[in-house]
Amino acid sequence: MADHFTTADVARQLDDCTFCPKMCRHACPVSTTTGRESLIPQAKMDRLNKLVHDQEPWRPDTTESLWACTGCRHCTVYCDHDNEPGLVLLSGRAEANKRGAGHPALAGYGERFRARDQRLAADARERFGAEAFASTGAIGFWPGCDSLDKGTADVAAAQAVFERLGLGPVPLVDAGLACAGYPLLAAGLPDEFRWHAGKVATALRRFQTIVIGCSACRHAITALYQGEGISVGTTVVSIAEFLATHADKLPAPATKKRVHYHDPCYLARSAGVIEEPRRVLGQVADVREFAWSGVDTECCGGGGLLPKTMPAVADAMARRRLAELAAQGGGIVATACGTCALMLRRNAPDGVEVSDLATAVANLTDTPFTPPAAPADEP
Amino acid sequence: MTLELAGALAAVVGADHVRPIPGQPALAVTPGSPTELADVVRITADAGAAVVPVGAGFRAARVRGLGERRRVHLSSERLDQVVQLDETSMLCHAQAGLTGAALEKILAPRGLSLGDYPPGILGSSLGGLIGVRTPGKSSARHGFFEEAVAGLSAVLADGRTIHTRVAPRRSTGPDLARALCGSEGTIGYITAAVLRLHRRPEARLLAAYVLPSVDAAIAAAFLALREECAPAGLRIVDATEARLHFPDAGLADGQALLVACTAGPTDLAACDRDLIASAVAAEGGAAADLGLAERWWRRRLGTEPTPEPSPGFQASAGPGQLTAAYHAIRRAVPTARLHVSRFDLDGAVVFATLVDDRGDALAGDALTATVARAEAAATAAGAWLLGARPTALDPYLKALRAQLDPRGVMNPGALTES
Amino acid sequence: MVADADRVRRELEGIVGPRRVSVRPGDLDTYARDMWPRLLLARRAGATPTMLPTAVVWPETVREVAAIVRMARNLGVPIIPYGGGSGVCGGVVPRFGGITIDTKRMAALRGIRASDQVVDVEAGLSGERFERELTRRGYTFGNFPSSIYCSTVGGWLATRAAGQLSTKYGKVEDRVAGLTLVTGTGEVVDTDGPRRAIGGPDWTQLVLGSEGTLGIITSARLRLSPAPQLKVLRGFEVDNVAAGVEALRRVLQRGLKPAVVRLYDELDTFVNSFGHHHHDAAAAELRHTHAPVPLPGEGALPPLPPPPRATDDDGPLERLLGMVRKARHGLRGDAFTAVLDRPRLINRVVGTVAEKIARKGCKLIIGLEGARLRTEVEAALTFAELERAGARDQGEEPGRAWLARRYAVSYKMSPVFRDGAFVDTMEVATSWATLLDLYHSVRAALGKHAVVMAHFSHAYPEGCSIYFTFAAHAPDRAASERLYDTIWKDGLEAATRVGATISHHHGVGMLRAPYMAGEHREAMAILTALKHSFDPDDVMNPGKLGLAARRWEAR
Repeated sequence: MADHFTTADVARQLDDCTFCPKMCRHACPVSTTTGRESLIPQAKMDRLNKLVHDQEPWRPDTTESLWACTGCRHCTVYCDHDNEPGLVLLSGRAEANKRGAGHPALAGYGERFRARDQRLAADARERFGAEAFASTGAIGFWPGCDSLDKGTADVAAAQAVFERLGLGPVPLVDAGLACAGYPLLAAGLPDEFRWHAGKVATALRRFQTIVIGCSACRHAITALYQGEGISVGTTVVSIAEFLATHADKLPAPATKKRVHYHDPCYLARSAGVIEEPRRVLGQVADVREFAWSGVDTECCGGGGLLPKTMPAVADAMARRRLAELAAQGGGIVATACGTCALMLRRNAPDGVEVSDLATAVANLTDTPFTPPAAPADEP
Repeated sequence: MTLELAGALAAVVGADHVRPIPGQPALAVTPGSPTELADVVRITADAGAAVVPVGAGFRAARVRGLGERRRVHLSSERLDQVVQLDETSMLCHAQAGLTGAALEKILAPRGLSLGDYPPGILGSSLGGLIGVRTPGKSSARHGFFEEAVAGLSAVLADGRTIHTRVAPRRSTGPDLARALCGSEGTIGYITAAVLRLHRRPEARLLAAYVLPSVDAAIAAAFLALREECAPAGLRIVDATEARLHFPDAGLADGQALLVACTAGPTDLAACDRDLIASAVAAEGGAAADLGLAERWWRRRLGTEPTPEPSPGFQASAGPGQLTAAYHAIRRAVPTARLHVSRFDLDGAVVFATLVDDRGDALAGDALTATVARAEAAATAAGAWLLGARPTALDPYLKALRAQLDPRGVMNPGALTES
Repeated sequence: MVADADRVRRELEGIVGPRRVSVRPGDLDTYARDMWPRLLLARRAGATPTMLPTAVVWPETVREVAAIVRMARNLGVPIIPYGGGSGVCGGVVPRFGGITIDTKRMAALRGIRASDQVVDVEAGLSGERFERELTRRGYTFGNFPSSIYCSTVGGWLATRAAGQLSTKYGKVEDRVAGLTLVTGTGEVVDTDGPRRAIGGPDWTQLVLGSEGTLGIITSARLRLSPAPQLKVLRGFEVDNVAAGVEALRRVLQRGLKPAVVRLYDELDTFVNSFGHHHHDAAAAELRHTHAPVPLPGEGALPPLPPPPRATDDDGPLERLLGMVRKARHGLRGDAFTAVLDRPRLINRVVGTVAEKIARKGCKLIIGLEGARLRTEVEAALTFAELERAGARDQGEEPGRAWLARRYAVSYKMSPVFRDGAFVDTMEVATSWATLLDLYHSVRAALGKHAVVMAHFSHAYPEGCSIYFTFAAHAPDRAASERLYDTIWKDGLEAATRVGATISHHHGVGMLRAPYMAGEHREAMAILTALKHSFDPDDVMNPGKLGLAARRWEAR
């Protein structure tokens, strides 16, 4: 599949999309939510094709649609051309930045990213205590930035689950960093991504296995780092995959509640992690499916920096995702990604409860094992 | 003035084919060709008179609201030729004055048929069958009569003749022939039609069942239809009507008789019969004497007389409203004899024979009052009455007519709010 | 006098608020076209659209649509309805500017009434999403066009679309119980009445297919069927097109209703088997669940191609360079255009090869679905009838292969255009008696300019449609457009000459507008009168469907 990374193949993809009768449009969450024809994958690629052919000037208003993608890859499921619009659009974003036509909301994003990353790492140290961290060991836990920011209870729940499974305390990776750098790539800053990825990889290398709570971090580390010549050399798995290997040890409640599982795009469609989280959740709950799930899962709006470039649309996508459940009168949704959990929680309608996978596992038993010292989120 | 018009028309169609209608400012005109008909329309329009279409065997043309305006009752009865019979495509191009029954006689030796429409309607001319929509012109196998129309020829108010092109289906704008179907001669005078034909069925199988209630019988009918059963005829007769029409069925109060005919290739006819049988069984019914169904079918074909009087009231309803409509009419007119027929997935028609407790046909004020009661009850239950018409689009119809017929020549009294 | 763009924007914002109105150049550019291949020729040449909307608006309710239409009527601005923009006739091109109304924010499936087997659905819902939701609830609408992934329900209704199972379920116009429409006067009307019965013309049938020229369809009540309990697919082989057509006629006229009917002519059969593509479900699954991984050290993001050097458009040097560039990726592209430069030869040679030498005959795919019992009986009768007509049973495999690739045709457009050629399809229909005349005369007319193949795919007791695919090549944009127009002119005139309709299910738009007079002759008077009745000021999609647009052309 490496041929997706050649100039000739990108040119082919751009042309095939330009002349295609829009066969993936129904799968694109951004255009389906907004109704905007210029945001369907075909139109975004057509736009980029015009830009690279100098048929359009590179300006913030002409490049706007390059940012209207969460990289969820739903379009690729319906593409007989084998195209990767999400990936190609990231290259378009990088080029737009180079030509001074970046997204206004992302001005100075590199700086802001670094500042937030350091702040989150420092906050986590304070919140969980230095003893919760390690810089080497058999297993390291990497929750991801959104969990460390707004989902610290999920992080604590995950640690409680690890203990309950007899894995002992699984330390947080002591890197002084919170994010694997995917947002930098989404911001069209591949150089900064490379620099950041190097630092993260150095920290991860000291563990034999890394358990990751964020689907985008998992994708970045296992797939994208390699492109930058960065090898981690460690087993890197999502928390869903990790818990799945121990699923039989999870205590089952007497009666299982119905829980809908939301597939994070970066797990289901980038890493093929579909069955594992269901196996885990199935131990403690009666797993229900959304109308669109698995390889057809619909994006929560959290990817591709859409919450920064089109915040109202990103939130509307999350609400759209939960509308099906709301129409049934509510229910519980579990997901296996800190960013998805954040987006869905923030936009959950009345009656819909959103839970991270680890939190669901910890709470949906007859003897919930939320950790004693679970620190409360700051308001 | 009428004399002058009569003279002008006689010059076109011959004096034998223009005659005054006594007591009315009207002439009955029977042109012998579509060209003559077009000339008649043009001359009538230029004279400021109105055209009222008249078909064979069709009930008296509505002349409501015309007052003393002169009119030409334009009959298609001499336009009775089959223009072309395309047996390869099973299409028949026939003139509008031909009756359905006459056309069936021409088709039968060739193994063809218009389809299993109720024989009772086929006495009308093709022009009337197409120009006026009523719920009876339907068949579960072949749809509504207008769906048999593949193309039409018509004369517009200014004397222009149009021919809609024949194609199995098309995507070149709205279906223009449909502007003429059901428009009762107001958009144009239909002079010929290309009709879709069907093979005469290889097999025809009859069956009769008794069900515990009319509700169960209706449920069984739709159960079978949803399994794609397409009967050539299906009728549910309630106990009141059965006592007169099928006395030997021995129906108890509340029970219902279901008679059905399935047709087509033998295997398919048998399949459909089996589907009805299982639906009936599922609703608690059982097979009855086949002779009942045979008698129904003979009466339908007119080879055996149907007990008098015939139904004087009908209301159609969708599957969701049909049972309620039946009971509403039943309650409103306890003496009425009721049957439900013309079934398809869109619903069916409840037919009521309005009689007094001695079984004699109602007449006069009693009839008027009873019909009003039945109408109110049926409407309240969500059914539609014969001749009812949604009027929301009337302004558009008016504008359409004004465009095509600014002088108001074409059947001006029809399709207007009374 | 067209109101100025700023005024239009302000008025629209007054109706729907600022977020659902756009005058952004990127939006205007996108809404300037649909998938009409002629527009792709211009796009390929890098031309900017000359006919752009003044503004785009996304209403969410029928009341907003009505308010927009009333406003446009007051200001004297055209309205162009836009669904999926997947049409192939230029139906959404804003010929005289105006407000493009995108219906896609009206996309709710409002509800199913089980007792009547009908669904109420809004016009902007995606076809695929509609059908999936119905499947989930145990129903099907039965319309499966190869554009189902990109078209909307409203677009189907506006053009009288057809799907691959139309022989059983009918074209969309056969499945409509009623429509809600905002007419050109800005009034909301409902054509939903009981179908049985009722006096006056059937307004539903007069609105269906009007392509936005009478009003905007905002929602519809559509007939449903239960989801099929049984599906049967079978391949057959017949000696030639005539034998296949005769076999199909016999099946349909016996009163049987297969869902899928596809008879490929010799070239279509040849191309289909030549490019036989075994669908590898496992490989596809892997591709869908795993993102591509970059090569080590080559960068996490793929490199964009450099901007082209300034050269004459399609000059000889550029063509030479292009050939060299393509040579690196195999000769397919240029071999392909070389083939297209000699269409007569290829039409003859391939026909000969397939017919005389290989004796492959024509492929016929037949599928039945529906209620278990009746489908079983109809399938047995259908297969027996085909065999009696000389068709040879090839088993289930050809049917399965077709099903796996049923929408593949829609993906074949891009490579052809990328390689510098063009491809389009022409779907015509007529009665059985003239069907072979239609086939031969259109094939001959197109074959002078293009490589042509055809299949017969929507059959009725009285006739059938033919779906011609043609591919051709010309040196530059101007020559391509000339050739394109000639092909359509020759093809449609050939169809009209034998008495066929010029479109079975793609519609009219701009492409067929010049041929509407030949199609309907005097009956155009009724269409014109309908137009005046529904849209007295000619604001609804002016200049389409062969209707005069004098008000706008005079400017």
